Amino acid sequence: MVQPRLVWFIALKDLKLFTRDRMALFFFVLFPFMFVILFNFLLSDAFVDEDNRLVFHLITLEEETETAVSHQIIAALVTPDESSLRPGEPLVIEVDDYDELRRQVEEKELGGFLAFPEDFTESLYAGGGADIEVVADPEAVYHRAALHGLAQGISSWIGAEYAVRGAIIELAGEQAQAILQSLEGQVITGEPLIGYTSDNTAGDIVAEQPTNYVIPGYLVMFVFFAAALSAEAIVRERQNHTLERMLASSVRRSTLIGGIFTGTAAKGLVQIIIFWTVGILVFNIDLGVAPAAVIILSFLMVIVSAAFGVMLATLVKTDRSAGSLATLSALIMAPLGGCWWPLFIAPQWLQSLAKITPHGWANTGFNKLMLFGADFADVGPELLALVVFTIVFASIAVWRFRTAAS
Amino acid sequence: MSANYLVAQDLHKSFNEHKAVNGVSFTIRKREIFGLLGPNGAGKTTTIRMLSTVLEPDQGDVIIGGYSIKREAEEVRNLIGVCPQELALYVELGALDNLLFFGRMAGMSSQEAREQALAHLKLVGLEERAKGRIDKFSGGMKRRVNLAVALMGHPELLFLDEPTVGIDPQSRNNIYETIEGLRDKGMTILYTTHYMEEADRLCDRVAIMDGGQIIAMDTPHELKAQIGSPDRVTLEDVFLKQTGRSLRD
Ligand SMILES: Nc1ncnc2c1ncn2[C@@H]1O[C@H](COP(=O)(O)OP(=O)(O)OP(=O)(O)O)[C@@H](O)[C@H]1O
Ligand SMILES: [Mg+2]
Repeated sequence: MVQPRLVWFIALKDLKLFTRDRMALFFFVLFPFMFVILFNFLLSDAFVDEDNRLVFHLITLEEETETAVSHQIIAALVTPDESSLRPGEPLVIEVDDYDELRRQVEEKELGGFLAFPEDFTESLYAGGGADIEVVADPEAVYHRAALHGLAQGISSWIGAEYAVRGAIIELAGEQAQAILQSLEGQVITGEPLIGYTSDNTAGDIVAEQPTNYVIPGYLVMFVFFAAALSAEAIVRERQNHTLERMLASSVRRSTLIGGIFTGTAAKGLVQIIIFWTVGILVFNIDLGVAPAAVIILSFLMVIVSAAFGVMLATLVKTDRSAGSLATLSALIMAPLGGCWWPLFIAPQWLQSLAKITPHGWANTGFNKLMLFGADFADVGPELLALVVFTIVFASIAVWRFRTAAS
Repeated sequence: MSANYLVAQDLHKSFNEHKAVNGVSFTIRKREIFGLLGPNGAGKTTTIRMLSTVLEPDQGDVIIGGYSIKREAEEVRNLIGVCPQELALYVELGALDNLLFFGRMAGMSSQEAREQALAHLKLVGLEERAKGRIDKFSGGMKRRVNLAVALMGHPELLFLDEPTVGIDPQSRNNIYETIEGLRDKGMTILYTTHYMEEADRLCDRVAIMDGGQIIAMDTPHELKAQIGSPDRVTLEDVFLKQTGRSLRD
């Protein structure tokens, strides 16, 4: 039904038109960064000064024995000398009164803390993985995000170590020794654990990095906005009379729709490539422990936005209504879906409402991956939701396309 | 007389309640320039859009080169080239880019599209401006590109919908010469216009349309002869006589 070669040429042509359109390039590529810079500036200011230094409270309920892993971890994390901290670096302290910490969090005196359970070492050896408890005030957004990242960093690091060493441990029968040695190795080489995990998650999360959610937020917003505006493309082909020309030379409508979809997706790809490249090089954003998941999520986001654009295209009649529908939908769905402020600080009802937008799922996915140290499997629901949105949008487009006369 | 290349039979098309084309039948012979004349709103463009398979007739059929526009639209599309009344170009792209794009749309290879595009640009006298953006072109140059695009794929039958509207005499002459050259090379052409003197110069036969119907059809010479001495009357007068109205009301 579609003509793949022609689809590709139409997409290339649309991409070419996009690069010729200075306004579009400015609006969809440069403009978003102005927001990013602005927000980064406004938000990071709150963290850099030392009075606002992030403080992590760690506690373990395990008995202090030679084999208690949690004690080793805490020892490795605790800041040895507060005066040696650079601006923005977190302070880590060990505390020993769990109930008191809880009370402080409940009374909002403290943002949160990490607690290692009584059976931490035991369950680690039992092979079930270790659970670290994150107790946090839901309103202490950054603190909560940072604690999640730290917990995730610790557990994924231990998980990896454990998996690698599993075989040896079984043979040797000296599990504790093995893990402890690996931890001591970290300490001995002078690399604190947090330094190690900063390669993955914890380090950058605790640093002041609003770009880690500001960039994905604007990425989602502007990719969708650009895609929605390509709904104008089909109307423009009609007004340009180029549609007529194509139809008179055997180009099927389905091919044209396919071309617009592919062109829109290609534009979206250009946007995400630029966003991530600039984000990483200029803003030092951190893609988290599963960069592949961030890329797949971005890619799915581009696909769903292109499907959305094509759906709009089949819904509108004129260029103007396409433009206003695109703008309207972008301006409603972006804040609703957490592009303007992070969803995790939003009230619960707004978080639920966000789920009706693809933006909401995409942003939640990015936040999980880039702030909360989530892994591939953790963003399964978000990836799936985007696929479902794509199917819904595409189905509406196909249905409209079939029923629309001429 | 050569065979009929196009046979249009009893075409009807309404928009809402308005009958834009109301029972139009005519034939075009191979290698002929056939003129469709008429005032604004006569139904010329609607007729061309049906002939070029873009618009489905409410009633009637057209056979082009032995294929029906209803049942074998695909085959018909391979035989025709269309130069729409309005510019049908991507003005932000270059002239060559436009020709290449539509060449690829017509299924040509990249090599073939390039060769044809350059040849057609040369034909309309724009080979020097191949890379220039359309929106920087004059009205006449844009029209010439519009025509050049229609030539991609070497169609056997060319539909030209008012190709000379609103342009300078120089571009107009270039277009006349191009069209005559194409006819000499064996192309069949349907040409619409409301410039009667243009039809007089170019067309082998003309049909005069008004209100969605053909009210007269013959060679320009015969049509004029019906109302007086062909040397002294114009097609303008023929129209006036047929409709009781002046053409450019
Ligand atoms: N898509 C459409 N929807 C509604 N009405 C239409 C449409 N296309 C044409 N018409 C109407 O049909 C009639 C014939 O239009 P058409 O464009 O075929 O005339 P024309 O002879 O080409 O005129 P012109 O010399 O102005 O190009 C006009 O009254 C026009 O308003
Ligand atoms: Mg017309």
